[in-house]
Amino acid sequence: MTTPMWTKTISDVNEEILVNLEKPHPAFYAVFGLALSLFLAGIVFVALHTTFGLGLWQFAPPLYWAVDITNFVFWVGIGHAGTLISAILFLFRAKWRNTVNRSAEAMTIFAVMCAAIFPLIHMGRMWLGAYWAMPFPNTNNLWVNFRSPLVWDVFAISTYFTVSLLFWYMGLVPDLASIRDRTKGIKRLVYGFMSFGWRGTAKQWWHYEAGYGFLAALATPLVLSVHSVVSWDFAMSLQPGWHTTIFPPYFVAGAILSGCAMVYNLLIPVRFMFRLEKFILPEHLDACLKLTLLTSTIVFYAYGVEFFVAWYSGNPYEWAIFEKRAIGPYSFYFWTMVFCNCIFPLAWWSKKVRASIPISFVICLLVNVGMWFERYNIIVSSLVEDFLPSAWGHFEPGLWEIVITLGSFGMFFVFFFIFCKFFPIISLSEIKLIMPKPLSGKKAHGGSHHGH
Amino acid sequence: MATKSVVDQDVGVIGIFKHLDTVCSAIERVRERDDFRGHEVFSPTSYHEIEHACGFGASPVRFFTLIGALTGMCSGFALALATDWDWPLIVGGKTPGLPSIPAYVVIGFECTILFGAIATILGMLVMGRIPNPKRRVLDTRLTDDRFAIYVPGARLDSPQAQLLRECGADEVRAT
Repeated sequence: MTTPMWTKTISDVNEEILVNLEKPHPAFYAVFGLALSLFLAGIVFVALHTTFGLGLWQFAPPLYWAVDITNFVFWVGIGHAGTLISAILFLFRAKWRNTVNRSAEAMTIFAVMCAAIFPLIHMGRMWLGAYWAMPFPNTNNLWVNFRSPLVWDVFAISTYFTVSLLFWYMGLVPDLASIRDRTKGIKRLVYGFMSFGWRGTAKQWWHYEAGYGFLAALATPLVLSVHSVVSWDFAMSLQPGWHTTIFPPYFVAGAILSGCAMVYNLLIPVRFMFRLEKFILPEHLDACLKLTLLTSTIVFYAYGVEFFVAWYSGNPYEWAIFEKRAIGPYSFYFWTMVFCNCIFPLAWWSKKVRASIPISFVICLLVNVGMWFERYNIIVSSLVEDFLPSAWGHFEPGLWEIVITLGSFGMFFVFFFIFCKFFPIISLSEIKLIMPKPLSGKKAHGGSHHGH
Repeated sequence: MATKSVVDQDVGVIGIFKHLDTVCSAIERVRERDDFRGHEVFSPTSYHEIEHACGFGASPVRFFTLIGALTGMCSGFALALATDWDWPLIVGGKTPGLPSIPAYVVIGFECTILFGAIATILGMLVMGRIPNPKRRVLDTRLTDDRFAIYVPGARLDSPQAQLLRECGADEVRAT
């Protein structure tokens, strides 16, 4: 990436990024109101669904995992870009991450929260579901089966959530201290408490930097493992269409694709509402789109290989599922998925398209739609026809599924916008590192800059 | 590098700097002097130049991470194996216990990461001596865009304050 043209100095950072703590743009209230109403609708539907039971959903055996698990996989996938940006791009010293990592990490936390709710909704009696998922012995002293991918998943998701939360909060600590030093009274007390009394001494930064590096090193294999473990929920079964070894890398690439697209979809409104155009520069948005394009081509390749292997394996059951996906009753979902995830993003090869925010925004939205359809396609089209032909059927999502899905989007945006109102949206300390250094200009100072 | 702090209060002299290169050359000069024992350097962000000027080596946080990660790995495998021996669960004819280790790698791996991450955060807090409610904010600009060298126990007319002025501090004042 070429050196960005900064028009701001590090002295402007705190002053201009923390405007989000003041009165926000009117558009903020409009979007927040919409998200809140979706969230409330979702709560009502989940409450009714928990009261009256799983029978309200349209599915019937063998299709136990329909839209709820689709949403689970979708939201876990969205969460991936945050840790990818904060950990992997940190290790690669990609400087553009410093402008977007905070909002991407927040996105991860809220997306994983949305994801974690769905298995509980899916289990009907969520209070029991939460208990069964934990590694406790039951009344007969029987433990959970540690050889089950579902138990691995509980470990993977809860580790992922905790580590992402720690990573995010660790980054926030110096920034919360910045807010503390700008506010008075009760606000100062609250932010001071949240910042652990961070003072910003060289020693603290030294340990902080080391700790941040180790967390990044720990989180890097975690990012790649979490969606692999999620994919084992499928790949470890014998179900045709699921039982393939390509699933872990395929799921991880898809997760990063949807996550990066979501990062872009969140950055654009936030950049507009809080007037951050001078900090989130076009170069940074461009880099985000390039990463999305890269993962899109990996996903494209994975779709191709999946089909090829289904045909080349000579397994008639496997091939029948793929035929059904492409030209059978689920072809609408399949082709939407292919066009949204593979074909439309190809437009980003053009620099002009990448530079156009409205077009790229729409393509990112389409990618997210496509990624939701991908999970739907994998789960429903495989599961709806299992080993008993007498139980075969067809499935389309109904009102309950749609409202609860929209409710999860509402929940995600409500949390995200609350975050935008009370926390620094751009990491103050990290953006200062990629901006021009405050030098006196008297003499050149030795020592190279390593980025952050 | 700042040696062990001799005066633990927030009373002393602070020199505020505007520029990174000025503060770095000041740090190098200050480190050569004996009367700056327990001095602290403040920076708005983690500039590596300051780390070099202070002469820091590898941070001890790495031991926290290592011990945490190893503890996590052992606990993950121990949890899966212990429950297995407590009540062997034969599913699909698969032998429980040690032959099932490949399946337990996932649990061991996740616990490695989890414990390692928690220990890293603890290491950062312990080594950075935070939270410490006894310390107060010396200057609110230090988390914004200013650098500083703070000498506990020094006075405005002391040689330490004089040196900070010589080094190009934009402001030297008592705290």
